[in-house]
Amino acid sequence: MNTHASTAPGASNASDQIALELCDLTRTYRLKRGLFRAPGLIKAVDGVSLRIRRGETLGLVGESGCGKSTLAKMLLGLLEPSSGNVLIHGKEIDPGKRLALARSIQPIFQDPYSSLNPRRTVGDIVGVPLQLHKIGSDADRKKQVRDILDIVGMPERTHTQYPNQLSGGQRQRVAIARALVLRPDILICDEPTSALDVSVQAQILNLLLDLKAEFGLTYLFISHDLGVVEHLVDRVAVMHRGKIVEQGTREQIFARPEHPYTRMLLASVLTPEPGLGIPELSTETL
Amino acid sequence: MSLLLDIKNLKVDLPTERGTLQAVRGIDIQVKRGEMLCLVGESGCGKSMTSLALMGLLPSKAKRTADHMLFDGIDLQSLDERGMAQLRGARMSMIFQEPMTSLNPSYTLGDQLCEALRAHKKVTAAQARDRAVYLLERAGVPMAADRMRQYPHQLSGGLRQRVMIAMALMCEPDLIIADEPTTALDVTIQAQILRLIRELQKEFGTAVVFITHDLGVVARIADNVSVMYAGQVVEHAPVREIFAHPSHYYTSGLLNCIPVRGKTLPGSRLQSIPGVVPSLIGKVEGCTFANRCAHVREACIAPPNVQVDPTHTALCVDAVTLASLETA
Repeated sequence: MNTHASTAPGASNASDQIALELCDLTRTYRLKRGLFRAPGLIKAVDGVSLRIRRGETLGLVGESGCGKSTLAKMLLGLLEPSSGNVLIHGKEIDPGKRLALARSIQPIFQDPYSSLNPRRTVGDIVGVPLQLHKIGSDADRKKQVRDILDIVGMPERTHTQYPNQLSGGQRQRVAIARALVLRPDILICDEPTSALDVSVQAQILNLLLDLKAEFGLTYLFISHDLGVVEHLVDRVAVMHRGKIVEQGTREQIFARPEHPYTRMLLASVLTPEPGLGIPELSTETL
Repeated sequence: MSLLLDIKNLKVDLPTERGTLQAVRGIDIQVKRGEMLCLVGESGCGKSMTSLALMGLLPSKAKRTADHMLFDGIDLQSLDERGMAQLRGARMSMIFQEPMTSLNPSYTLGDQLCEALRAHKKVTAAQARDRAVYLLERAGVPMAADRMRQYPHQLSGGLRQRVMIAMALMCEPDLIIADEPTTALDVTIQAQILRLIRELQKEFGTAVVFITHDLGVVARIADNVSVMYAGQVVEHAPVREIFAHPSHYYTSGLLNCIPVRGKTLPGSRLQSIPGVVPSLIGKVEGCTFANRCAHVREACIAPPNVQVDPTHTALCVDAVTLASLETA
């Protein structure tokens, strides 16, 4: 059923253990001829093959414009690949069946300020996926919403509040509850803590760790913050100009990076250790 | 070294629909010539309002008061708008977070750089141009002479920030206020820009007030650090001291929140600070961190500003105890 198996590394794993598989995924954007611009093609994602096992957290790191978010959109069925395909539990995703897709894969976005409807209460926001999927009776849904909000740590009194009455951390908790209410097994976390303050970031990272342990979730964790990635993930894939330039276990990538780009990314991390100065980066290799 | 900037008891009040917001609540800032002072804090702690207050760029409704505000002996409070305008750009300049919004899209870089100089000093167009090209080169902008004819949209974010730095240096200011200058940039570009700011600062002897929320940046770039929380400086110390002996529960809490390579076990629970920053509208009393602090007690109604050692102060009843703790 899967003709692309040879393109992915580590093909010895039983396919039912693979939650998410990307096979030679490519997305090109056509640039229109503009006032100052010649027409052309941009390969935002260029032949990416990745596998994420069930219950695993894969960190996808790279800088702005490297194609991380384009990749995430294709996984969620929000953008059709130019070529290649995405398999969820061994089945190819059908962009026409977004509802079915949504049952198993859900996103958490960076900005909890723009990803929640300002005119609906917390309880309504989290209940929308259940309504769309016509799951249970009204009473069932109410209970499920209450349960999941309880799990993400939103006290009862907040359920009738609107997003503008919540702090950034609380909004991100609501976004996580909404993502989890359908009980998907894969979460695409696209920079989920970048917009949050440090003290709140730790709360959300702890929550993601707890949820993974409780529900056996599989995470694709997209981030530019290598400190957070090292803390959270099992394996790391490094993306640069649309391509995966290196992937490996957390230990491999952080202790023995091989690609010059990975080395440069790691060298540029500023840990809170005074006296080390600001790293000098050699950019000649790129 | 002499004090370049000496601010005592600075307060900024902002009127809102729900009452007066005390954005800055009595802070002291002292910066020596050539010093890098980092103001670090989370959103809403008043760090940006402080920088705007220093530059005289507060929103018109805001009310600024201070016991004194001295810049190289000049009383900033006595200056009118014209007097302030003469200082701004010439002797104190600012670098903002988002360079695209602070560059004018419809003028070339050359025009904007030269204007910064010619507005304040009597120089010929050719002299201004030479200095602009020189500073662009020093700021690491490749093909500087050609870039003078380019417009801001033709540059990447990193290059735009380099142009902003060159522009801030055009008049050889004594003080640069940099408000989150690398927050919008990628990590590799951030490291390059921070290096550049540090190098140019040393070369030109400029004092810098560097505003950031990133403790990693603070650790690597600061001489001295003021930690801000809820409109106050809750702790001030030299950079090594503040990371080795944090003496306020907020500072130590913040440091514990960040996963650090080799110190934090991957996948372990991170320490976090529960709760949120209190509202600064209306009357604010006692320690503002009390509602998030595990060690709160009666004495926290009036926290003393403890002199932990000659260079280290902390606004906490337990400051001395905290300072003596060995950090991991």
